[in-house]
Amino acid sequence: MKIFYKKDGGIVQLIDKEKMKEWSIELPLIFIEYIRNNQLKSYNDPKLKKEIEKYLDEVLTDVAIPGLIEVLDGDNVEEVNKALVRIEELAKKNIEMVKPIKPYVEKLVKKNNKEVKNLSNSIIDKFKKAERKKKLAEKRKIMQEKEKLFLAGNLSGEEYAKARKEYLILKE
Amino acid sequence: MSSKTESKKWNMEAAKKLFQEYLKKSIEEKKKEVKLPENTVQIDNLNRQQTLERIYKLTDSLIDMIYENGRPSIKLPSRASANIIWDEENDLLLLGQQIMEKQFHSLGSVADMTRLMKVLEKVNELLIKDMHATKREIFYSSVQLFGDQKNSDKCIEDVATMLYTTRNSTHIVASAKGSCIGRLRIRDRNDIIDLEGLGSGGWTISPMLDNIEILESDAEFILVLEKDAAMIRLSEARFWRKYPCIILTAKGAADIATRMFLKRISKELQLPVFTLVDSDPYGHYIHSVYLRGSKRLSYESPFLATPDIKLLGVLTRDLEKYKIPNDCTIPMNQTDIKRTKEMLNEDFVKKNKAWETDLKLALKLKVKAEIQALSTFGFEFLTDQYIPEKLSTGDWI
Repeated sequence: MKIFYKKDGGIVQLIDKEKMKEWSIELPLIFIEYIRNNQLKSYNDPKLKKEIEKYLDEVLTDVAIPGLIEVLDGDNVEEVNKALVRIEELAKKNIEMVKPIKPYVEKLVKKNNKEVKNLSNSIIDKFKKAERKKKLAEKRKIMQEKEKLFLAGNLSGEEYAKARKEYLILKE
Repeated sequence: MSSKTESKKWNMEAAKKLFQEYLKKSIEEKKKEVKLPENTVQIDNLNRQQTLERIYKLTDSLIDMIYENGRPSIKLPSRASANIIWDEENDLLLLGQQIMEKQFHSLGSVADMTRLMKVLEKVNELLIKDMHATKREIFYSSVQLFGDQKNSDKCIEDVATMLYTTRNSTHIVASAKGSCIGRLRIRDRNDIIDLEGLGSGGWTISPMLDNIEILESDAEFILVLEKDAAMIRLSEARFWRKYPCIILTAKGAADIATRMFLKRISKELQLPVFTLVDSDPYGHYIHSVYLRGSKRLSYESPFLATPDIKLLGVLTRDLEKYKIPNDCTIPMNQTDIKRTKEMLNEDFVKKNKAWETDLKLALKLKVKAEIQALSTFGFEFLTDQYIPEKLSTGDWI
């Protein structure tokens, strides 16, 4: 068991990630979600929560994702489908969690199986949306800065209009 | 009825200290390399695949013998107590060199061998299908061949021994009656079970422990209760919320699945274990079964016993300390006295002076009391004072 120490002298024990390598592919993800949604809030210790979050991320990158990649790279359509359904569910909740799988999902779009193709496309769409959202957030930050400069008279009307146009195009 | 309950939160200092000691010990033990004594073989708890591999290896050797000389035989390690070595320090079960050889071609052993092979075939089937069966089901799989369940039971033990594993590894399980509740999250195949969220009845301990895996816990000790009535009291008080613990009961005598599950959680989580039993020889006997295992199952004791378990109560000395009124105690009868004397003759009692003293005090006072006698001071006395005070002050045996 992996041991985490609480501020009050108590401890939290979580199953070692090595043991999870023998699990079926969807289980490590179910475990991560379960601990995040049900247990984390009960620990009442921000430092401990952070350490456990870090451990769950390790479980994701060292166990869950490699397990999924192995399946996605294989020829078992049923298993690939099962894995894609789980990835799609996860992508809806937190796209960053499944980012390392993106190249493997992109390869699956070219497959002949309709279900595999549809699920892969749906996941790729989510990646695209997430990327756009990220870019928009960055641009919004720049735009706010430019607005301040323009109002202070430190930016020409032409330059401000150009930046505004770029931002609106991305937003649409 | 008078109320003696103080409304304070006990710090559980003594129990916490014990837990820290166990954790430290476990870290040191992990660094140690275990060396087996010469001429011994280790008995392992195996997973499904490993058990199947051992079956294939055994059948391969039988086929080789048939090809070589047409006279196959099976070598079976003796389960006699002289051949069973329990390395308590490393918590390993070892078998010595006493080996019995069973011949296939002798008329005397033909019935025995046929039964043994039938059980081996059933074990193979269970493992391949990833299913479990009880001893009774094995008997009913071929009633005419086994004749009596004693014969199939013996073959079940023989199969486990010849594969150098435990009975549970062969997927032949005992029925379970225990339940567990508290700060523990487990996995049963693909389901995650939260033992805090199953209502007041808790989780019924599964005999198919190979499907169970511990996922998370923030418990600091385990409390084993003799009786379901005490479980109801603690469950209703949500005792584990105030004092982080896991509570379990076998509802009387300790069954195999409950003992095995207790062993698993205490070993994996390194938690101190305390028993709360009636203050009578039967309660002390139940504690001893958790501690040492029963004589009948000495072969599997290391997989069932929890050697570090502490007797929290109800101790005979508690009857005086807490001034339990006389009308709440019961006079010992002749059987109780005889059983107490028998307990005093056991080596594990002789080695534990505090235990010996308490049993001698019981003989002197000639009284016994149930856990429920404590409710004379109010229903909350057990959960709000008796258990927390003892765990805080280290008042256990």
